[in-house]
Amino acid sequence: MKIILLLLVIVLLTVLQLTWPGFLIFFNCKPDLLLVFAVALVFFMNFRIAFLFAVLTGIVKDLFLPTGLAVNTISFGGWSYLVFRLSTQISTDNEYVRLFTLLVVLFLNSLITGLIILHSGNTVSPGIFFRNLVIPSVYSIALSPLIFKLIKKIS
Amino acid sequence: MFKLSRKNLINFALIACVLLFISNSLSCFKNSAHKTVKPGLSLVGLAKREAGGIFFYHRNMVKAEESDEQIEMLRSKLFDMRELYQENSRLRSLLAFKQQSALRLIPARVIGRFPDNWTSGVILDKGKSNGINTGMVVVNHIGLIGKIIETTSLTSKVLLINDSSQGISSIVQSSRQEGLVSGSLGVNLVMRYLPKDAQISVGDIIVTSELSRIYPKGLLIGKVIKVGYEFSGLNRFAIVKPAVDLANIEEVLVIAQ
Repeated sequence: MKIILLLLVIVLLTVLQLTWPGFLIFFNCKPDLLLVFAVALVFFMNFRIAFLFAVLTGIVKDLFLPTGLAVNTISFGGWSYLVFRLSTQISTDNEYVRLFTLLVVLFLNSLITGLIILHSGNTVSPGIFFRNLVIPSVYSIALSPLIFKLIKKIS
Repeated sequence: MFKLSRKNLINFALIACVLLFISNSLSCFKNSAHKTVKPGLSLVGLAKREAGGIFFYHRNMVKAEESDEQIEMLRSKLFDMRELYQENSRLRSLLAFKQQSALRLIPARVIGRFPDNWTSGVILDKGKSNGINTGMVVVNHIGLIGKIIETTSLTSKVLLINDSSQGISSIVQSSRQEGLVSGSLGVNLVMRYLPKDAQISVGDIIVTSELSRIYPKGLLIGKVIKVGYEFSGLNRFAIVKPAVDLANIEEVLVIAQ
């Protein structure tokens, strides 16, 4: 039952991410709900399930992107593992610790994606690069409590 | 039949006199009786008025609620009508463009956008089964939108012209000055590799050039809004505002090869 619900949440978040309403797009940026979901799973679920679903979420995101590389499949799995390792070192029971961890993950994931884009020869102005680093991360953090609640209920 | 005899008349007069006397003698109690009854009467009057007011207010409130519901219903109808009107005018423009154009065009609807912020693209509701293939150019009645980069049997992905990986060989319509228009992930595009003495100014129209192997010649890209020198000082660049509002595309036309 849990697995079916999680699959449904992935479908729901993917549809939401693909059809994010125009009036909720700030500075041409939208939140990364799928990454929030992948990381949030580690906080509330068994690691194996969290890791598997993080990879699945990454695959789903890659399916709708033009890049040939499965960047998100690898990175989502990686973040899931790293956050799990971190949670064995420090307590992630506090809401603020979770949000801060998520913010760091979102920021670093954006940075890695941006650097891959730059490395592949595309030109992105510093302003837009910085905008794509900061605004989606903060925007995702603002919406993450809703996803946390959803996963808490499922778990 | 009743007979008015003298005796009866006298009795009646006597009774009337007694009653008159009694009523006159009771008039001294009038004031105190009125005073006693007045608060009760005022209270009853007030209650009556208030009850009337409440009834009136309730009736008005019900009427207002009904009117509000009707207003909301009409508003939503008006909104639907506006949506339909806008869709109708958009589709009419597309149809007119399709009929005028010598190119074979496949109409499609935008059903989604790329899920991340580092690429700029949309997903269309038509794919290989509708004759759409990779590399086809996407336009609308205003101008160039992008190109198809991937297709499935039912959907296709379009890379918009403001994606950072886009490079479109283009020319300034008036001076025929060549350059390369590339996306910046922002609202505007950048036209690069313009020589120092390039004839280009604000307001110039930029169209696709015949040198482009992907895009047909003469498709409208946008209008120059700023011209400057590149950091090296050897070349000039121009900021181009796309003719199409890339953030709000709903229907497109795919140019079939």
